[in-house]
Amino acid sequence: MRRILVVAAVLGAVVALAVLGGLFAPHDPSTVVGPPYSAPGEAGLLGTDGLGRDVLSRVLAGGSDLVLVSLLAALIATTTGVAGGLLAGWSDGWTARTLTSSADVLLAAPQLLIALVAAVALPGPAAVVIATVCGGTPLTLRVVRDATRLTRGAGFVEAARCRGERGPVLLAREVLPSLSGLVTADAGMRFVMAIQLASALSLLGFGTQPPQADWALMIRENLPGSGLNAAGVLAPALVLAVVAGAMAATAAHAGRRTNTGRQA
Amino acid sequence: MIGVVPRACARAMLVLFAVAVGVFLVTDVLPGDAALARTRGGAGAAELARLRAESGMDGPVWERFARWGWALLRGDAGTSLLNDRPVSTLIGERLPATLTLAACALVVAVPLLLALSWWAGGRAARSYGGGALAAVAAIPQVVVAAGAVAVFSGLLGWLPRVSLLPIGAPPWHDPALLVLPALSLALPAAAYGAGLLSGAVADVRALPHVDDAVLRGIPRWRIATRHALPLLWAPAIRVVAVIAGGLIAATTVVETVFGYTGLGELLVSSVASRDVPVVQAVALLGAVVVVTGGAVADLARGIRA
Repeated sequence: MRRILVVAAVLGAVVALAVLGGLFAPHDPSTVVGPPYSAPGEAGLLGTDGLGRDVLSRVLAGGSDLVLVSLLAALIATTTGVAGGLLAGWSDGWTARTLTSSADVLLAAPQLLIALVAAVALPGPAAVVIATVCGGTPLTLRVVRDATRLTRGAGFVEAARCRGERGPVLLAREVLPSLSGLVTADAGMRFVMAIQLASALSLLGFGTQPPQADWALMIRENLPGSGLNAAGVLAPALVLAVVAGAMAATAAHAGRRTNTGRQA
Repeated sequence: MIGVVPRACARAMLVLFAVAVGVFLVTDVLPGDAALARTRGGAGAAELARLRAESGMDGPVWERFARWGWALLRGDAGTSLLNDRPVSTLIGERLPATLTLAACALVVAVPLLLALSWWAGGRAARSYGGGALAAVAAIPQVVVAAGAVAVFSGLLGWLPRVSLLPIGAPPWHDPALLVLPALSLALPAAAYGAGLLSGAVADVRALPHVDDAVLRGIPRWRIATRHALPLLWAPAIRVVAVIAGGLIAATTVVETVFGYTGLGELLVSSVASRDVPVVQAVALLGAVVVVTGGAVADLARGIRA
């Protein structure tokens, strides 16, 4: 339970900072405050970007969409994966085999292609959600399926079965709570996956469009001027790295098992 | 009991077929086909319909899929809608660049991965090793590549900022171009792989004969290579296969950041210009690599050390 609280705290902090960051911006993210690519200190704390806008303000304002979309994508992917995993781990025969094979096929499908085509055909955030679900759900499904298989024969489940509990109740009341750490960790990893996807899409020009402030897009826009003002690239890069890294480290902490019977 | 090898191959074939269907259906969503491209948008609906009927492009999806698949099996990937050049030529021009890049990245990533997983699987790193590896692996590819550019060429000016490679030139004609892209690919991949492998390493390092070797005072690198590595071949091969599959998508980002003209860049520009035949071929090629990696991993699972 404590581990889940830690994950929730870190996730809450990330979301709050990203969403509320724009309130602390010294300038409007889209107004020109100085000459293009001014060095830090000459104009603004972190200098300016290629159009002379304040890098610090854009970094503070550039995370809310990215983080919220990634959160949504993670929730959908994890929920779908957990439902499929419980079903595949609990049932035998045809259902389990079908679910597992579809997961295998989805895993082999090129995630980036799905994301790119979705970005062309649909509004921006939908592409991140769809690609995260296609690439992430199968991973969740496999992990939850294996854990469910292990739990199925456990004593406390047997005891509940002897009390006369039926399948769905057993899953919801006995199996799912025992997987809570695993599921929380998995949701954290899906969040990281969505952030990676969203930032890749924006960099490739298929995600957020200018003049919107977005961390990955800032990297793309300010790369040519990295010799003049490296902060324009390094500041958004650092924020992205910290958000993704903190989330992944917390998820790893939540999902750690106490035994050593792990498999690579 | 069917043999391990035929079963892995059969599974790979099935998965590949399913992925081919998927790739075809997904790209079918893209607006744009040969008829539109040939008329450069200057034709009426009636003219377009006539052209499509002539070349069988108005048939049901399964019929078009069958035609595409049959052509592929004969080695014909169609022609680009943009410039009427054969898709196979376009891919052939870019393939060496991407293969060289991925190979350089693997050469750096695999030893690094083994060393990192040895560290993370030890008792010293038990509590925080996994978290540290997960954090490094989570850093988006964009950040690693752009950070490398900003530091090594922006701040320090040591290496070229872009790796502009003339299309068709051999990728090794200027090795300096490969340093930053390969490193940016290798670091997150190595951290990710080490995280996958560290559990198996921890199990092996806890075995009695390894403990015994430690107590007998055998040097650590000899324990790693002589006593532990033979038991880790199968999981290590599996992890490297997974990483090789992941590199495919990662090269796209890295090639874009560095302006390196490889397959990833071709995929992105083809999606942007709705050049469906090229997108299909490149995506399928990527899927072949991933599925082959999966098959190798399956075989590695069948190997009993």
